[in-house]
Amino acid sequence: MSQEDRSDLAAMETTEEPDLDRGIVEAWAAKMISNPDRAYRATFYLATIFFLVTTLFPFYWLFMVALTPRGDLSSVGVLTPGGFNPGAFIEIFTRLPFHRYIFNSFLIAVVATVIVLFVASLAGYVFGRLRFRAKNVLLLGVLVTSFFPPAAFFVPLNRLFNRNVDILRPLIQDGSLYNTPYAIFIPLSALYLPLSIFILMTFYSQIPDGLEDAARVEGTTRLGALFRIIVPLSAPGVATAGVLTFITVYNEYFFSSLMTDGRPQSWAPMLEGILRFQGEFEVLFNLMAAASIVAVLPAAILVIVAQEKIVSGLTAGAVKE
Amino acid sequence: MASVTLQDITKEYEDVTAVDSMDLQIRDGEFITFVGPSGCGKSTTMETIAGLTLPTRGSIEIGDRSVTNLPPKDRGISMVFQNIALFPHMDVYENVSFGLRLRKYDQEEIDRRVEQAADVVQLEGMMDRMPKEMSGGQRQRVAIARAIVREPDVFLMDEPLANLDAELRVHMRTQLQRLHRELDTTIIYVTHDQAQAMTMSDRIAVINDGVLQQVAPPLECYNEPTNRFVAGFIGSPAMNFLEGEVSDDGFESQYANIDFDPATHGVTSRQEVTVGIRPEDIFLEQDSRKATSPTKAFDAVADVLEPMGKEMNAYLLFDRDVEASAEGRGEGQLLMNLAPDTSIAEGDDVRIVMDRENVHLFDRESGNAITHTLE
Repeated sequence: MSQEDRSDLAAMETTEEPDLDRGIVEAWAAKMISNPDRAYRATFYLATIFFLVTTLFPFYWLFMVALTPRGDLSSVGVLTPGGFNPGAFIEIFTRLPFHRYIFNSFLIAVVATVIVLFVASLAGYVFGRLRFRAKNVLLLGVLVTSFFPPAAFFVPLNRLFNRNVDILRPLIQDGSLYNTPYAIFIPLSALYLPLSIFILMTFYSQIPDGLEDAARVEGTTRLGALFRIIVPLSAPGVATAGVLTFITVYNEYFFSSLMTDGRPQSWAPMLEGILRFQGEFEVLFNLMAAASIVAVLPAAILVIVAQEKIVSGLTAGAVKE
Repeated sequence: MASVTLQDITKEYEDVTAVDSMDLQIRDGEFITFVGPSGCGKSTTMETIAGLTLPTRGSIEIGDRSVTNLPPKDRGISMVFQNIALFPHMDVYENVSFGLRLRKYDQEEIDRRVEQAADVVQLEGMMDRMPKEMSGGQRQRVAIARAIVREPDVFLMDEPLANLDAELRVHMRTQLQRLHRELDTTIIYVTHDQAQAMTMSDRIAVINDGVLQQVAPPLECYNEPTNRFVAGFIGSPAMNFLEGEVSDDGFESQYANIDFDPATHGVTSRQEVTVGIRPEDIFLEQDSRKATSPTKAFDAVADVLEPMGKEMNAYLLFDRDVEASAEGRGEGQLLMNLAPDTSIAEGDDVRIVMDRENVHLFDRESGNAITHTLE
């Protein structure tokens, strides 16, 4: 090989690797510019990790606190518990009937969700698919109602629910709604109705008129077409509205705590139960932490199940009438 | 099977009248087609028959029952929609049996009828397919199966072939005619395509601006249109029109005169009229023996030639000064059919004659037909 050839080779090497003399950051930026997909992927993972850490780390830490025996609370580390006492998860059910609190919240949330979905379906159908006078005014009314802070309704509702109504006497102890689940899910259903109406209205308005017409010609009433055709086809919207309502009502504290006296047999909700571990002389942080984790489970399970329903409804058309 | 009677059906929306006092008798077992340009009220009329829209005024009878205020499900009808409207979350079997299941038929009966309907439209072996897995033609057949499975008194079909490609449309057209023969049921068919109306129907109801123009068998609509609208709408390519007025001894216009006796054809001198002549009733002068009763010859210029294979469309101008209109055929333009082997080139001068036997005369103001022949 001659001298000339060798220098040619050297020249080729340098042109092939031009970023040898760049800094790490510069090289990285150059790569990102030439291949933007990598940049998008990197930012996606970064954002996801950030989101997961900020939402899941408190959970992890809650779990650490729950595992720490009561006396060692001050020694809880950032990543490690201050001891090992899984008994806290049992103790929450023995010290208080915490399962009853969860059941109360769960039942109230289920009933409220059913009511909200049913009424919002009717309203969503009317607002989304029919043309009539004063539609926008009514819709605005619904919207305005949802802007009121719940506290605005509290005083009148509280007075109403504390009154003894004679006709309710055969149905409800002493004829007053106070300390009954009705006092909770009636106002809550009403408060969270507007959101569901808006969600369902949007979904129902997307269903082609022809499908509803076809159902009606085939033999359904308008209501039948709504529940046999429009609702199943809007499964993702219905699931979204349902899950949102369920979670909000399940987690709701303001009304639930003020409309009952806080005892489990008075239909006090789950949050009330957690706060009951806060005694006069001592705050049982480990039990509160354990109770919080247990209380999340029903909602978490529901969301997972509902998500599967949404996905299957979309892909396989598995929703049967 | 049932007859359908519309009486004074009117449908008004806030500021438009979609259907204007329509009276129509549809006979038992008849295949009738509502035809008209889009927005003419034909679909609205069908929706009022189906019960999907309530008429502002008027009454509807199906068979001997007044159904004006009945919901769609109690009218004994079934319907095929333009956008096919299969329920996307149900498979073929569930789609077809939907109406039967709602009416609580027992399972054996449902299976028997679904199988029979699937047989008629040739859908065997597709019962567990989902609509989105099927082609347009298959979906349309499912929609038809869903309509026939309930054995309704009246079938309503709202542009069922509009969303299919041309080849399939022609195929389905013959299928539908065969279906009508097999089922022997009253079929009301809506389309804006006059070719479908001509080929399939026992009678055509031509509708324009919500007003019924003519109800007659296809050939009668073609040969004896009641007014200028029907004349221009039925037939493809469309009829030629010449604006002019009646003179003492015939028709006079800027470009052409036709001799006839005004008195025997129901017109008076100086009356403003429109002459209508179909492209196939115009001939070159040398072919004038093909016309039953040729007029005297006119001069014209061949503007554009369209060889179609079995014939040739020739767009003519009455003289070289006429500006060819960009949209449709304007004044002074004329379309004629020629044999495909005619030796003629664009720009040639030609002499043409019209067949007097098939010259239509319309009153210019009202548009109503005065006569369908000038013999």
